[in-house]
Amino acid sequence: MISCLLIHVSRTSQGLPVRQAGVIAGETIQIGRGAACPVHLPDHRVALHHASVRRADDGSLHMDAAGEAMLKIDGIIARSVALQPGMRIEIGPYVLGVETAPAGHDIALSMEKVHAPDGHETAVGLKQPVTLEALGFSKRTLGAVLAVCILLVFLLLPMLPGASQALDKWQADLPVTLNGSWSPGSLTGGHALFEAKCSTCHKRPFQAVADEVCTGCHTQAGKHLSNETLHKRAFGSMRCTDCHADHKSRAKLRHDAEKCVACHGDIKRINPDSKLADVHDFATGHPAFHITLPEGVDADGVERVVRFRQQDKPVERSALKYSHKIHLDKAGISSPEGDTVMQCRDCHRLDASGKHFAAMTMEKTCQQSACHALNFTEPVEGIVPHGSERAVMSRLREFYGRWLADVPENRAQCEAAGAPANSVRATLDCVNDLARRNGAATLFRKNAECGECHEITPVASTNVPWKVTPLRTNHDWQPGAVFPHAKHGAMGCTACHDKMNSEKSADIAMPAIDKCRECHIGKDHARGKLISTCESCHRFHRDERK
Amino acid sequence: MNGMQGATLLKYRGHRYLKVTSALVLLAVAAYLLPGRTGDEAYGGTVSGYLLGIAATLIVLILMLYGVARRRIGGTPVAQADTENKVGRGKRPFRMGRLEGATLQGWLSAHIYLGILLLVLATLHTGFHFGWNVHTLSYVLMLLVMVSGVYGLNAYLSYPTLITLNMGDDTLDDLFLKIAELDELAMACALELPDEVHALVQQACRETRVGGNLWQQLSGEQRDCPTRYAVQQLPALSATYGRNDQPKMIRELYAMLLRKEKLVQRARADVMLRARMTCWLFLHAPLGIALLAALTAHIVSIFFYW
Repeated sequence: MISCLLIHVSRTSQGLPVRQAGVIAGETIQIGRGAACPVHLPDHRVALHHASVRRADDGSLHMDAAGEAMLKIDGIIARSVALQPGMRIEIGPYVLGVETAPAGHDIALSMEKVHAPDGHETAVGLKQPVTLEALGFSKRTLGAVLAVCILLVFLLLPMLPGASQALDKWQADLPVTLNGSWSPGSLTGGHALFEAKCSTCHKRPFQAVADEVCTGCHTQAGKHLSNETLHKRAFGSMRCTDCHADHKSRAKLRHDAEKCVACHGDIKRINPDSKLADVHDFATGHPAFHITLPEGVDADGVERVVRFRQQDKPVERSALKYSHKIHLDKAGISSPEGDTVMQCRDCHRLDASGKHFAAMTMEKTCQQSACHALNFTEPVEGIVPHGSERAVMSRLREFYGRWLADVPENRAQCEAAGAPANSVRATLDCVNDLARRNGAATLFRKNAECGECHEITPVASTNVPWKVTPLRTNHDWQPGAVFPHAKHGAMGCTACHDKMNSEKSADIAMPAIDKCRECHIGKDHARGKLISTCESCHRFHRDERK
Repeated sequence: MNGMQGATLLKYRGHRYLKVTSALVLLAVAAYLLPGRTGDEAYGGTVSGYLLGIAATLIVLILMLYGVARRRIGGTPVAQADTENKVGRGKRPFRMGRLEGATLQGWLSAHIYLGILLLVLATLHTGFHFGWNVHTLSYVLMLLVMVSGVYGLNAYLSYPTLITLNMGDDTLDDLFLKIAELDELAMACALELPDEVHALVQQACRETRVGGNLWQQLSGEQRDCPTRYAVQQLPALSATYGRNDQPKMIRELYAMLLRKEKLVQRARADVMLRARMTCWLFLHAPLGIALLAALTAHIVSIFFYW
């Protein structure tokens, strides 16, 4: 049996202890939260049955923790302890002090609640935010932070290279340039070189890209109209970039056919005196083709041309006698190599541009395979070069002079002609006479040798008594358009140019617009047709290199 | 209520703003297609591109004015639903306020329809060119604002009803008081009960949470909710005790915990519904401000490098 003096200690408002003693007794003395425990410690930190005091075999008193409970004795955690006066045992908020037992008691325990209540008041929700505002989210702060970041990265930084050339140069080498975020699209073609350096074209802030920036590199791009007044009327204050906008795909940079129609759809609005017809679309609104022919050189030495409507069936006055029919005869044409079937390309060869044909010459074209050699036969055989009448006559005189000098008997030819005595004068007269006579007989004939191709007129001259009309063959029937012959190589020449039955060089065999329209349509798609815009055939800028 | 609310917002004054929007959308599409007729490639820098851009900018400014009007007129278009909840927290006094003849519902109706118009105008303005630049950034921010706005419209039309259904006549504070009362009783009861039971109750009292961080508010859940755990465990636990362990008290305790669990669920649902009803605004408004900044950069950049 243990007799225990239990002293409840409480404190006055001044903090002075008030001790109330009571006696408890039992074989063991239970300590715990439960009402059944004599040392009743009503707190949630205390176990229902927390500890008990028992008498050990040697008669000393021990305190043992029950279950999983723990005791804190003088600051040290323990499960069991032999009670000694002066010990302080902490259980939950309570401190049990072991005091010297007065007479008649085995032990004295003081019991004081030293810690605050355990706050078993409801915790639910009270310390938790229950609204999003309570989490500290602020729409304004978030908005302001985002806005400042965006303005910094996408407004301030891109502006900086415009302020300093050094910075502009430095940032161009960065993997991400400062003003890259402003570029609405990548640059096209050669412009891609300036991708990292906006200032190449955008010289000054808030100023549009000047035309000089473009013409600084594109030196060959001439004006559309050579007439200044007309140019100003048609284009006013238009800038290069109005038509050529980069950053917007290649198509946008290169050309914009619709801009042509803006003027050429009603050309009289720009130039009431214009002879051009209105154009809207190749398929439906393009005038019939015109044929441009050379008109000769005017008083100012300028080569003039004249345009004919194709339906007026103009003829070419080239002064050349030529029959395509004979040359292209399917049965062949006689040549030193026998009968040969000629092809168009035997004479017409594309130049390097692939658009036009190389000029034809007597030597390279007509005299190939020894055709059209300029022979004379009387009184001896010889060949003259293709050249001016004077050159031909000089060659003949040179030939006959040598012929007389080499063989004196040949002089008989002169005498036969009734020439007088053996003088230098007489020899020269003989040479001239021979040249004239044989030139007339074998070369300057109306329909053979020279006269086979050229128009020849006799003139009153002793030295060169013939005049060959100079040729004026056309090289560009439609100088306002570009026709890439090379791209049309799959078609035969005669598919467009009807020359098989042409007997005269005056025949013009340029195809009409309907021929082109068999394959080409305008800007709107059509099945099995090629979309063709103005730029397919026409060039806006004059080439300044010409 | 819900249906009426939606009807008022979207059908305000005989579809006034629907009609205006439809007309303007047709006009914008015509403006877009007009240069297309002559084959001009569409982008923001053509004449119609500039016109569409100017119109879209003006609409953005008008849309942002709604934020100002909302403050000046006071109340919210769904304040009526709030009032019926009698929640008190964060509640604005409902006034069918008028500011120079404007009603907030009229503003919101216009705000919604102008938003739709803006989507059309801005999309046409882009000419369908997108890239990694400030221009597309503006467009994407605009889309994000719109997505959050569409969510918000849906939230305004559906959540007030759900909140009312969940809370009935109670406010969240009422629920907290009831829960606290039950906690007190349960703890008092648990003092006399075995330690395992006591520990369960104590944990349920101390660690049950309503609300919390963003995710907890939006989900309306507490992982391993101690109250729910206590409710699950108590019957099994009590079966192991003998007659001396006060089975009657355990049964009473069980009833208390059940009641508490229901209250906690309702409180969490309320927090969740309100969080879901308002969360979009924490994106909608800041992204709107960000859009204004990006738009400024977009416009300045166009004229800076003209």
